[in-house]
Amino acid sequence: MTSVIKTINLSRHFGQGDTLVKALDEVNITIKKGEFTAIIGPSGSGKTTLLQLIGGLDETSAGNVILDDKNISDMSGQELSDFRRDHIGFVFQAYNLIPVLSAKENIEYIMLLQGVSADERHRRVEHIMAQVGLTGLASRRPTQLSGGQQQRVAIARAMVSNPSIILADEPTANLDSRTGMALIDMMKKLNEQEQMTFVFSTHDPKIMESARRIITLEDGRVVDDFVK
Amino acid sequence: MLLLKLAFRNILRNRRRSLLTLLSMSGGYFLLATMISMSEGSYSHMINLFTQDHTGHVQIHYSDYLTRPSLNKTINNVDELVNNISGYPHVKSVTSRVYAPSLAYGKNKTFPAQVIGIDPKREAATTLLELKVKQGQWLSNGMSESGYFPALIGVSLATNLNLGLGDELILISQGIDGSIANDIFIITGIVGTADSYERNNVYLSLGAIKQFLAMHDQAHEVVIALDHQSRAMPFADALKLPQNLNAAPWQKIEESFYKSMQVDKKGNYISLGVIMFLVSIGVLNTVLMGTMERTREFGVLKAIGTRPKMVFMLIIMESFILALASCIVGMLLAFAPIYYLTYIGLVMPEPIDMGGVEFQIMLGEFSAFVLLVPAITVIGSTLLVSLFPALKAAKTVPVSAMQAA
Repeated sequence: MTSVIKTINLSRHFGQGDTLVKALDEVNITIKKGEFTAIIGPSGSGKTTLLQLIGGLDETSAGNVILDDKNISDMSGQELSDFRRDHIGFVFQAYNLIPVLSAKENIEYIMLLQGVSADERHRRVEHIMAQVGLTGLASRRPTQLSGGQQQRVAIARAMVSNPSIILADEPTANLDSRTGMALIDMMKKLNEQEQMTFVFSTHDPKIMESARRIITLEDGRVVDDFVK
Repeated sequence: MLLLKLAFRNILRNRRRSLLTLLSMSGGYFLLATMISMSEGSYSHMINLFTQDHTGHVQIHYSDYLTRPSLNKTINNVDELVNNISGYPHVKSVTSRVYAPSLAYGKNKTFPAQVIGIDPKREAATTLLELKVKQGQWLSNGMSESGYFPALIGVSLATNLNLGLGDELILISQGIDGSIANDIFIITGIVGTADSYERNNVYLSLGAIKQFLAMHDQAHEVVIALDHQSRAMPFADALKLPQNLNAAPWQKIEESFYKSMQVDKKGNYISLGVIMFLVSIGVLNTVLMGTMERTREFGVLKAIGTRPKMVFMLIIMESFILALASCIVGMLLAFAPIYYLTYIGLVMPEPIDMGGVEFQIMLGEFSAFVLLVPAITVIGSTLLVSLFPALKAAKTVPVSAMQAA
């Protein structure tokens, strides 16, 4: 299988001199297409920073991120925006839906940016909403949805444009364990059905068990990389 | 469409704040529109009174007559010129005048006087002189029963010479041929006030003055009244005249009046600028607050693939919609006061004297200029103050923005 994510000596440092903090220090990982990978580690180990750098949301201090054979570290702001729009789907811990848009509008937002036709958008939104169990909630605004429902909308938004990579930063952290597990099961099912590459961070042992590959970080370094 | 939808919903999201911003900008529009209406209307009214008093909108003279006047510097074939110009577009009326410095004698006193020859019918159509006759009647072309030409005399000159209606007035001057000109005229009217332009003038008909000064088809001045004062400059520039003649708009003839009015206007615009600056500060505060509290959202929008340019445009569009709505509200609010000022006006308890021209009513102006300038100013300043927050949001790094909240 071809690699869709590759980091080469990836580092992210904050501060300088005595106050220098190495949030991520020379991380080298390769993730292949269709993998369902968990990044685990204690708080402050660099999980979120790694996902942010892979997603091009933050600037690297050193090293490179290669996604779909493209070095995103060299891209301009606009190129990076377009790349994220077309290749990466994000699921955030705090859902981060657009509050003034309904569930349906949040899901179709990226397709609008991509210029997908109205019919195609409608078809895909209907399909994904059924897949994530949101049928009947299309017109609700984020504030009218529960945490679990909001996170389902976020997952649907991340997946609807068929990106090659889905990055999820502690997607279950704000949910109760049952809802969290249900969400992970749903992600796993979608991963199997759609062959999308899922990388998510977590510190919940039950969630970790669902992953087929577990990368462990400690103090910004990869200390273990285990494939089941 | 996506931007428009987002912009509208973002505006409606914090309705109270949007309403307050809208009211503040509408207030700014209202103040600007009414003040510009008052300012333009008053100046326009003042210019109309001034030009109708005696200046007209455009004057024609012998080339250097205005700077070095002389009896001999005349416009020849003046009747033909007056008739020609009468047919030009936008010309309301045309008249010619003859000027002669004279010594006026009445009963046992003498006094210097400016004698002005006018065409009674054309002058009445061009200026307000006929309406300024305080005693007696308007000038006629023919001779009186006693065989003398009639004369209108300024009120100060009449007082100084102790003359009244029906009295004889003796004028002594120099004819155009160098001879001594002297004749008797009968006072048929007293004109003006002690402060007005005509207070020391004597008005004779063109026939009378030409006979008095031995002149033929000549005049010193041709005065043109147009259908609107704003046409004066382009009309004077476009007028094709013989080489020895000059056309000047009222702005050049009454340069000091025009310049003092321009300075006054600039002062008004500075006041308007201060109002707009204060409104802009309020708008900047609102836009900046609205942008800063949505920093996280802008981070998310960028994270999921929204281009920086689109984030920039979103904020600009929100400001534009708010500014446009404010202008519409402001326009509706300002409509009635501007209408009242324009068609009824503010009557002052005491008339104001401006360069000898009295006016007692402050009028507004109802025009596209009055409505559009405040709209352009409000929208322009709103967009200007929105640039900084919009750029800030567009340039933000997604992860920093998402951590901001």
